[in-house]
Amino acid sequence: MSGDRAPVIRVDGVSRWFGSVVAVSDVSFDVTPGITGLLGPNGAGKTTLLRLITGLAATSSGTVTVLGEPVRDNPPLYGRLGVMSEHESVYGFLEGREFVELMGRLRGVRSLERAVDRAIALVDLADAQHRPMGTYSRGMRQRMRLAATLVHDPEILILDEPLNGADPRQRVHFQQLLKELAADGRTIVLSSHILEEVEQVADTVLLIVNGKLAASGGFRAIRAALNERPYHVRVMCDAPRKLASAVVTLDSVDAVNVDPDGAIVVLSRNVRDLQIELPKLAQAAAISLRRVEPLDDSLESVFGYLVER
Amino acid sequence: MRSVYRLTLRQLLGRWRLSIMTVLSALPVVIAVLATHSSSAPSVQEFEDVAFSTLLAGSIAPLVVLAIATAAFANEIEDKTLANLTLAAIPRWQIVLPKLLAVITIAAPFIAVSALLTSHIAFLADAKATLAVTVSAVVGVVLYSSAFVWLGLVTTQAIGVGLLYIVLWEGFFSRFVSGVRLLSIRHYSIAWMHGLDARRFAAPDHLGFTVAIITSAIVFGGFLLLSIRRLRKMDVP
Repeated sequence: MSGDRAPVIRVDGVSRWFGSVVAVSDVSFDVTPGITGLLGPNGAGKTTLLRLITGLAATSSGTVTVLGEPVRDNPPLYGRLGVMSEHESVYGFLEGREFVELMGRLRGVRSLERAVDRAIALVDLADAQHRPMGTYSRGMRQRMRLAATLVHDPEILILDEPLNGADPRQRVHFQQLLKELAADGRTIVLSSHILEEVEQVADTVLLIVNGKLAASGGFRAIRAALNERPYHVRVMCDAPRKLASAVVTLDSVDAVNVDPDGAIVVLSRNVRDLQIELPKLAQAAAISLRRVEPLDDSLESVFGYLVER
Repeated sequence: MRSVYRLTLRQLLGRWRLSIMTVLSALPVVIAVLATHSSSAPSVQEFEDVAFSTLLAGSIAPLVVLAIATAAFANEIEDKTLANLTLAAIPRWQIVLPKLLAVITIAAPFIAVSALLTSHIAFLADAKATLAVTVSAVVGVVLYSSAFVWLGLVTTQAIGVGLLYIVLWEGFFSRFVSGVRLLSIRHYSIAWMHGLDARRFAAPDHLGFTVAIITSAIVFGGFLLLSIRRLRKMDVP
């Protein structure tokens, strides 16, 4: 990820443990301008890693630098960061506008009124800005929190699961906004446990599994790695033994088992070809397919495979 | 600093807290009224010991402050909004100090009015004694505030730990172990009372007015610095 550009964020050999639990284990990477997706299943250590990057938590070992400076206990640097944590709690007694104003004041914004107007307009919440945040829906709270994150026009944005609670229209709007901010030269780190969510906006991806950096790079490389992994596919049909003997001849198939319940389980390293070849094969052999389903398509199993490689 | 101060005031001015503070602050006044109208009225010395030294300085003031001060940070740690402040481009002292001032702003008027009314009733409008009681009570509030704001930063069980401190340290040990009085906010407050009106109030053992002024400054500054240090070092949720 280093590339030719100087890293804006450098994470070097960082670990963090809580008692005997290792939340982040010896992670190193650089982040350059653009959108970087931090991807991993729930509990993988994404939030802990983001807290280390923002200086909210101390590392047990290793260093985090942002714009060449240590991030921990460095208030002047925080004026250049915009951080949106995963916690959705807000000061419910404050109006949305008051909250954005407060964040602007604390971050030293000079033309406060103009900056607040701009930030609230960006998240399209001008109509609700004078309502107490305690009355907001989850999606509205997230958007107003994003406005507060953007009010001081930060160079670096760290967003932890920012699309939680957003409806499809808001997601599209938010993704478009992120792309525009990145196009202006900002550095954005965005965490998510949803592959497609990151894929739609991120230039580069960091895969975190069990507190370790499982893979990093461009999304195409990650996708290619995912496509190479072996899949178990369960097939229900009216002639399992006949289909099994036919399927095993396919190049895309590594192994076939027939279960006692009559289903066949196909192991394939090229599931894309299998998707095309299997219906043709069944049709040619006059076998009727009742059900075809992947057995290990959860995100956790995908990440698990990448860690084992 | 003004933004954090205003925010903290709004956070802490909850209805139930104000109700508890009002009830607690009214207690010494009620006792003073009952005592002055009782046929077997206590002596001035007895009243001073019960109403001011034990009740106001040793129980009411620390309890009122505990209810407010521990919430100054504990609420934000609990609901995870503290990061909004700690990620601001301002030094940590500009977060701790306004929060401490907000706590004092809320707690001090309750205790000051309580002390003023109680002493006014008990000492039959003796202005010097009333001033001594009121000022020493406010000094107690300031010192307890500094200590309990720090407590709210170091433990999630601040109320429980604070109650133990009030009962055991201020209420029990400081009464029976003379050395403890040098480290007792209640006794600093009593020493201030004596220092401002030596004619009316007895001095606590081993603690003169000058020492009380110095130790009060050390306690206030010490806990303020500890809070700032804690906010710099702690992991913010």
